[in-house]
Amino acid sequence: MGTTELARAAERSTTRRDADPPAGPSVAGLLRPYGRSLAAVVVLQVVGALAGLAPLLAVVELGRTLLAPGPTDHAHVRNVVAAGAAGLFVRLLFTAASSAVGHLLDGRVQLALRRQLAARLGRVPIGWLSRRRTGELAKVVGEDVGAVHPFIAHTPGELVAAFVVPLTSLVYLLTVDWRLTLVTLLPVLLAVALVPLLTTPARLREQEEFDTAMGRISDSVVEFVQGISVVKVFGGSGRAHRAFTEAADEFVGTFRRWVHGVSAIAAGMQLALSPPFVLLVVLVGGAVLLTRGDLAPADLLPFLLLGPGLTAPVAALGHGFDEMQAARRAVGRVRDVLAVPPLPEPARPAAPRGHRVELRGVRFGYEPGREVLRGIDLVLEPGTVTAVVGPSGGGKSTLVRLLPRFFDPTHGSVTLGGVDLRDLDGRELYRTVSFVFQDVRLLRASVADNIALAVPHAGLDDVVRAARLAHIHDRVLELPRGYDTVIGEETGLSGGEAQRISLARALLADTPVLVLDEATAFADPRTEHAVRRALTATGGDRTVLVIAHRLETIAEADTVVVLEDGAIVERGRPAELLARGGRFSALWQAHHSAVTGVARHTGDAWGTGATGDAEPAADAAVAEARSGAPRGEDPR
Amino acid sequence: MIRVLLRVLGHEHASPLRRTVTLMTAAAVAEGLSYALLVPLLRALLGPAPEDAWPWLAAFGAAVAACAVLRYLGDLSGFRVGAALLHGMYHRLGDHLARLPVGWYDTNRLGELSVLAGRGVLQAMSAVAHLLAPFVSACVTPLTIVAVMLCFSWQAGLAALVAVPVVAAVDARAGRATAAGDAERAERDHEATARVIEYLQAQPVLRAGGRTTERFRSLDDSLRDLRRASRRSVLSALPGVVGLTLTVQAVFTALLALGAHLALAGELGAAEALAILVLAARCADPLLSLTDIGGKLRGARHVLARLDAVLGTEPLPEPARPVRPVRHDLAFDSVVFRRGDRTVVRDLSLSVPEGQRLAVVGPSGAGKSTLLHLLARFHDVDAGAVRMGGVDVRDIDTEGLMARIAVVFQDVRLFDGTIEENVRLGRPGASEAEVRAAAAAARLDEVIERLPGGWAAHVGEGGALLSGGERQRVSIARALLKDAPVVLLDEVTSALDPVNEAAVHEGVERLMAGRTVVMVAHRSRTVRHADRVVLLDGGRVVEDGGHDELLRRGGRYADFWKTSLTPTTHPILKGPAS
Repeated sequence: MGTTELARAAERSTTRRDADPPAGPSVAGLLRPYGRSLAAVVVLQVVGALAGLAPLLAVVELGRTLLAPGPTDHAHVRNVVAAGAAGLFVRLLFTAASSAVGHLLDGRVQLALRRQLAARLGRVPIGWLSRRRTGELAKVVGEDVGAVHPFIAHTPGELVAAFVVPLTSLVYLLTVDWRLTLVTLLPVLLAVALVPLLTTPARLREQEEFDTAMGRISDSVVEFVQGISVVKVFGGSGRAHRAFTEAADEFVGTFRRWVHGVSAIAAGMQLALSPPFVLLVVLVGGAVLLTRGDLAPADLLPFLLLGPGLTAPVAALGHGFDEMQAARRAVGRVRDVLAVPPLPEPARPAAPRGHRVELRGVRFGYEPGREVLRGIDLVLEPGTVTAVVGPSGGGKSTLVRLLPRFFDPTHGSVTLGGVDLRDLDGRELYRTVSFVFQDVRLLRASVADNIALAVPHAGLDDVVRAARLAHIHDRVLELPRGYDTVIGEETGLSGGEAQRISLARALLADTPVLVLDEATAFADPRTEHAVRRALTATGGDRTVLVIAHRLETIAEADTVVVLEDGAIVERGRPAELLARGGRFSALWQAHHSAVTGVARHTGDAWGTGATGDAEPAADAAVAEARSGAPRGEDPR
Repeated sequence: MIRVLLRVLGHEHASPLRRTVTLMTAAAVAEGLSYALLVPLLRALLGPAPEDAWPWLAAFGAAVAACAVLRYLGDLSGFRVGAALLHGMYHRLGDHLARLPVGWYDTNRLGELSVLAGRGVLQAMSAVAHLLAPFVSACVTPLTIVAVMLCFSWQAGLAALVAVPVVAAVDARAGRATAAGDAERAERDHEATARVIEYLQAQPVLRAGGRTTERFRSLDDSLRDLRRASRRSVLSALPGVVGLTLTVQAVFTALLALGAHLALAGELGAAEALAILVLAARCADPLLSLTDIGGKLRGARHVLARLDAVLGTEPLPEPARPVRPVRHDLAFDSVVFRRGDRTVVRDLSLSVPEGQRLAVVGPSGAGKSTLLHLLARFHDVDAGAVRMGGVDVRDIDTEGLMARIAVVFQDVRLFDGTIEENVRLGRPGASEAEVRAAAAAARLDEVIERLPGGWAAHVGEGGALLSGGERQRVSIARALLKDAPVVLLDEVTSALDPVNEAAVHEGVERLMAGRTVVMVAHRSRTVRHADRVVLLDGGRVVEDGGHDELLRRGGRYADFWKTSLTPTTHPILKGPAS
């Protein structure tokens, strides 16, 4: 153990204990199911550790026999040696067993915790997930669960070594000679007496600075690494770099100051606890008692052999103390995730009749007090396409995400075939509703598996048909192993290609309700026409809700809904709305001028530019649309 | 370990490190030697005249004091070296990372690197500060004690000496077995983490496929693999740990028996025999802690090896004599570029005169974005050359090249700071007014108005709190502020709503004015505004010319234009007049 490690531990043990959240019960709670195995670990360890005292006691006994006046009992000596050897053997056996059981139990606990976490994360609302960093959650499942390791595999052993053995030794030594026992305890008292010196305001301030600097250096490392590609492009690598190295310099400076402050005291503590010093104290005390004839010479031996071990409890405070603290915090994070309420599943799922979708008085907010949807009433009839338009931040993305139940509305209801989504079995819901959103995720699995994700038993023919429809078939054939190529291992796909895979996925699922964000579906212009055809061709009875960006989509929709600031401000057939000259007409003109602005002035080939009459209106509309935009927010 | 450390950090740290190890060794030897005094001391104390012990006790006290001083100096030196190494490591890493090409950084790397540079470096360096002293003392003190034993009883000394090579061999073997197990475990760990991330990110689609945990096999498989690997690593480490303990204990037992035998036979005084056993007990504890320390050191070594690998990655070579171009025309000269075994750009030649605009169109996967990346030297070409102002970009220093280029890419990467910080990145020295003006020109001001916190609003991880169009506006503002002579533009697709689209267009228009521009174009308006258009397919230029010229030619561009770049006509497009 390093000098300053000890100092840190001493400081923390006195300053931090009260400040810690009561994480103890939570750890215990998580480990309760493994109580028996854990008890076995501890018992094995106790037996092993106590057996480890046998050889030392054998030396003591040997000393007594050898130093006793008169002829030596050879048989007794042999027995003593044999007892010592047996003790060692028992110690070996039991500590090894304890360690093995502990480590295997550790593996079991970690697997169980990870499965629990995965199961919970698979059931929490998508909305909850979307507001957390993936990396952070992955850390909980990986690293934080891994942090139970010291609790299970090391703590029992260390606690036993640190407390059971010294206490037993202490009791034994007291029976030998109480005065020398007190002398033997002097080094421990000395070390404890030094602790207040480590907790003076100056030391505490340095400690705090050190902790802050440590936090800052990790932050700036992450920031530097994460930002470096951005920063490099802007030729500012020198600057970002400087911020980073400054943090590093500062950390090292703080570290030096801290070491400077505590090193002398900590070295004093370490000296007090070191075996040579303990031996020195015991020998001085022993010499005094022996010269005065107050102690039998053989009684000095147990103190020489067991005395150095008495310092273990104080030393144990330093050993792995930081690790234990970190482990507690980690387990706390695991518990937090396990405590997130999952999206409730109905006890008695109802069966939908048909697939008309109705939203009734739907209100929703990501956080209390800030509503993103403020009372939406909307009916999506089977066989129709409903286009949602409106300025960004109006709540479009949130609205369409209610259908696949990424979130539940805070007020009102979303029903499918007359059944509230909350009363629908999860599988049933996803058999009915499929979606194509902006955040395309491909799995590290074969192309075929990725396309057939929602229809696990689909044949290759179906997969290929969907791929053709999504215009990705030819690209797939170029891959090293065609549809068996594992994405992310054998090949990477471009953003546009990934989006087409995701489209193929939705096309294959062929659900009666389809929700899509046109931005994704039509990211690649060449596929746009094909997709549009595919959707309308298979449409028939299908209910489609689309966030529309393209003029044609809007024009072809059966119903257009204008969403602004979380409320529907207009709805109706596109031509009707355009004629009405309200919000839709304004947005339309804004869009129109954005896309065709120049064509309009030059009288371009496709000759569909707005007429002269519309121009002033269009300009006004742009201004209006702008002023309307900056309100609600679309959290992503 | 120390060799890797020095290779990673440079040999300027060699002599302080050597001094530290020497001090620590001296302290450990002193501790061992001080125990030698226990023999005459005990002989006196356990003998008929305990008062004879006082001079020996005084000597022992002096030895303990000397030993404490040496140890304190060693620890101090260890901390000083640890701090210096930490400092050196951060600087080396920082310098190196800044030199690696942007192309090297992908998402997987970023995650791994964050962990490595953050926790990893601290872990490796604290090994020097915290573990070196216990390690040295666990090795050296027992050896010294064995030497002391040899002086007092050759039989006991010999018995202990025999154990030395056995302990060393067992420890080395245990180390190897554990290292192999650990490596496999780390690999499974990595795999499981990747699966967890995939599982989390794919939640929406997984749920749609009805694949909740119990059916998402690949995650569960990887978790089980991880457990199996960790079990194997425990089991493979066990023989080593048990073996070491067994050896140490066997030697202690042998000494116990031998001491008893020698004392009984009268070859050794009872006091000496007991003193030797006390010494043996002092030997055992540090030896048993060897496995523990060894495991931690291996962890640190593992981190060091990975740091070494990162530091061993060759950055794009910097020119010995950097040339700074005076003009800003751009040229591709027979450029070939491969990614893995796929040729992305094939023998492509192109030139853009200063101040002109080149539009690049083509199907996805044609290599359009790659052209921009090669211009900014995210990667180096495999053959041919990319030139700016007639100078090969490889002959321009990175800083100089980047200073001449402003980029607005599709996947706008923002870092998790405030909006202002993200814009200011374009030119950190810019005045308040310049930053505000750039923001206004990119129409970012209206975004800022609605954000809680305004300029000081945080954009979230990768800019997640902003919409796509808003992120574009930040990146345009940044580019405007930079005011570089060359602009590389990867146009957003149709992902923008009308308001954002109009804003982005306005900003882009301002950005392009008077500069040399290469843009990957998706929309009719930008293409028509280019001085020249190239149609790229399969990494080759298929058609090349002015927009009108190409349309008249009626080739692939004309087709492409008709199907992709223009919205189809529809009755309603005629507007209210219909």
